[in-house]
Amino acid sequence: MGVTILQQFPMKENRSGAHIIEFLTKRIIALGAKQCGTFLVDCETYASIPQLGVQRTLHVFHNSEQPASVFAILDNGTGKTVPVVADALFDLLLLKMSSVYTSKKSKVEIRGPRFELNDFVIKIGAININHNVKGIIVEAEYRPCVVFGLCWDMLREFLQGFLGSCVSNVPPHYFQNRINDIFQPLDTIQQYLDHITIYRKATGILQQYNTNST
Amino acid sequence: MAYSTSVNISIETQAENIIQEISYDGQEIYQPALSMSDNLSKLAQKIDFSKVDEDCEEPEVEIKSEEESKEQPPNVPISGWIDSVVSKLKRAATEICVISDVLAVTKEKRYMILDPIPTESIETKPMAQIYLRKKALASASTIIMSAVDRLRSSQNEFMRNRTTPDFHIELLRLRQNWRLKKVSTAIIGDLSYKTAGSKFGQSGMFEVTKAEDDIQSTSGISSSSPSTSPSHNMSISKAPSALRVTVPTELQGVSYIMVLCQKDQENIFNTSFNLLGSAPATPNPDMHWQQKLEAAQNVLFCKELFNQLAKEAVQLQATIPHMVVGNQISATVFPGIQLIIGLCHSSTNGNPNTILPSKTDHDHVLEHSLHQLLREVHHRNTHQPFPHPSSGPLGPSKRRAVAGPNAADRFELLEMSKTHTLLEQIIEQAQHFFMRLRTEYVIDTLAKEVKDPIIISHWNSLNSPTQACVKVTIVSHGFDCICRNSLVVHVMKKSLKCICRDGRVMYLSYEPQELRDLIFCQIYQHQIMGVQSVAKTQGWQCLASSSHLGLGPVEPMGNASSCLLASPIGDRLISVKCEPQGNVSVSIAHSPKKDFFGGQLVKERKWENLGGSFKKVRWDKMEGKNFLNKIELLMASLTNST
Repeated sequence: MGVTILQQFPMKENRSGAHIIEFLTKRIIALGAKQCGTFLVDCETYASIPQLGVQRTLHVFHNSEQPASVFAILDNGTGKTVPVVADALFDLLLLKMSSVYTSKKSKVEIRGPRFELNDFVIKIGAININHNVKGIIVEAEYRPCVVFGLCWDMLREFLQGFLGSCVSNVPPHYFQNRINDIFQPLDTIQQYLDHITIYRKATGILQQYNTNST
Repeated sequence: MAYSTSVNISIETQAENIIQEISYDGQEIYQPALSMSDNLSKLAQKIDFSKVDEDCEEPEVEIKSEEESKEQPPNVPISGWIDSVVSKLKRAATEICVISDVLAVTKEKRYMILDPIPTESIETKPMAQIYLRKKALASASTIIMSAVDRLRSSQNEFMRNRTTPDFHIELLRLRQNWRLKKVSTAIIGDLSYKTAGSKFGQSGMFEVTKAEDDIQSTSGISSSSPSTSPSHNMSISKAPSALRVTVPTELQGVSYIMVLCQKDQENIFNTSFNLLGSAPATPNPDMHWQQKLEAAQNVLFCKELFNQLAKEAVQLQATIPHMVVGNQISATVFPGIQLIIGLCHSSTNGNPNTILPSKTDHDHVLEHSLHQLLREVHHRNTHQPFPHPSSGPLGPSKRRAVAGPNAADRFELLEMSKTHTLLEQIIEQAQHFFMRLRTEYVIDTLAKEVKDPIIISHWNSLNSPTQACVKVTIVSHGFDCICRNSLVVHVMKKSLKCICRDGRVMYLSYEPQELRDLIFCQIYQHQIMGVQSVAKTQGWQCLASSSHLGLGPVEPMGNASSCLLASPIGDRLISVKCEPQGNVSVSIAHSPKKDFFGGQLVKERKWENLGGSFKKVRWDKMEGKNFLNKIELLMASLTNST
């Protein structure tokens, strides 16, 4: 287990998601990485029924890297979030709670190839919201280290090495207050949630975001 | 007087009325209760006024007579019963008159005198009393003694009954140790390990019956208590049991698991021949039920163990496949070394005079660990780890149970899912056993071969079945404070992990030669280091040292190491070269030489300071107990001669 950071890769208008993935894969393999299977992160969102008062949102994540776990992040509407890491039985529990938390029927899936390059694990995934590719996200993990502050520079350099200038020099927003904390698998999920929220908000903003970053 | 402490006894009449009649159905018909007047008349009729008692009844009579005299004045004959009372009272009155007359006459003492009658006084002789008491005591004691006799005889009777086997008591004892149940008229027991966590299919049913009554003749020989320690007692007591235990034929006899380690191929056939025909001494057919059941249970256990091992041997994909032939499994531990696990089972009706296989070459430790491994499996089956969520599935380990909430990644989960089968574990243990044996042998032979630095090995007394640790120390005799070299060797399953003094870690394979070479390298390194530390104490200077000398002939292993020393004033040099094979060459050089002969090339004496040619020392002729001692003496002699 190491430090994982996520990086969006801008979508070009005239290229499909598969194309970009292929393009990045070539670059990674040129660096000497080996493909080790694929990965899948999915997110399902539930909303509490109106009778409960303030609407709460529950995001349930599965990560193929932690196959035995279910991650849940509860947003209670007032800006406070409660993260939970649970057994796979949590899914069954949600079925029982369907009268309180109803699914929003907007499943987000991030899937793509997974590469290993010595101490690094690189995953290139396409974000599918309701089976439409919305963007490309690159996950890079540096396994020997567990503190973000100690390996951010190296990760940045590594990412810039094959992604180019889309990687900014400032640390990601999520890590601003957590530079010296010990990294946990939940942190990866929180980053995914942040990115998914950005994608979900509006495609207009997304395009704006893309044009800004490129 | 003698009964002053006697208990007061009160006697009361029954509160019931007099039974008049008892009918045939047992119903009692009572007389109706008397009325008050009837009662009075009844009581009055009872009074016999004519009877004059001497002492105690007199006041009563007087009272009565007073009562009567009160009644007298009315003098009305109301009914018949009063007549008799009246006549009695009259008689009494006349008697009283007579008495008063007599008393009046006697008062005058003229015609009549009252004399006391000489009555016999009760003499209270102390001796008589003692005799009396003695007699009373004697009679009481005889009563008690007879009771004691009776009790004793009944106790004896009871004891005799105990030694003769009682079916129900035996059954009770059987019930304390074994599971029994009653099926219609038969008593069926179960000796399988199912309740202890076994999942073996074969049933361990046995039947308990009452032994036939040919056992009555021999009874009361010895007192045996089979429930406490039957196996121990049974050798002494011959009392037959009232129980008869019938175990199924496939569980009869004696069986055991035998583990052999064979080096060469030929022996395998010999052992298989032996194994098939081997049978220990046939068990006594009339052995005690406890022993019989224990033996049967052992047979069942061995069968389960062998079954499990055979199943695993077939399933496992080993590079050299395991063989299961008949009742033996053979697995390759190391090239050329076979591990043979055999199941020996002799039934009671088998031939008793078969040759026992030589018991010396089988491995008790591995046999024991096999048993232990299966017991562990049983234990794991029955003891689920806690805390255990009520909704979660049964079976996963504790680590697996918390893997979800702890967000364990794929690699960790894969590690958790790896399980070792019994056969794998026992092969690992056998491998470790051989590794340990080989390491021991290498170190011991080296310690025997190499005399100059002394090789000392310390084995850790505590080790796991698959890991051991030995510390090898190399010292020179007499110089152990100056220079000592140590090396820690972890003996694993298939490899050795050697940690040298400088922190280098080396992994060696199972070939013993590798360890031998390593220790040899350590020895000559020790010598060179020793030379340097001796030089330090002697004030000599170490000019150069190299542990991997690139010069000289190619060594079969490693490199030679060397060092160059200079005397305190710098006019003498010693060069030492150690080869891994143990050869040591020592050369010395003088500069300047004491005698100088000018030549054509070297014309002046000053050039001699550059150092001269080395002369080899005939090392075997050197004085000294060991290498370092020789070096020390050499240095001393070179320093002295200046």
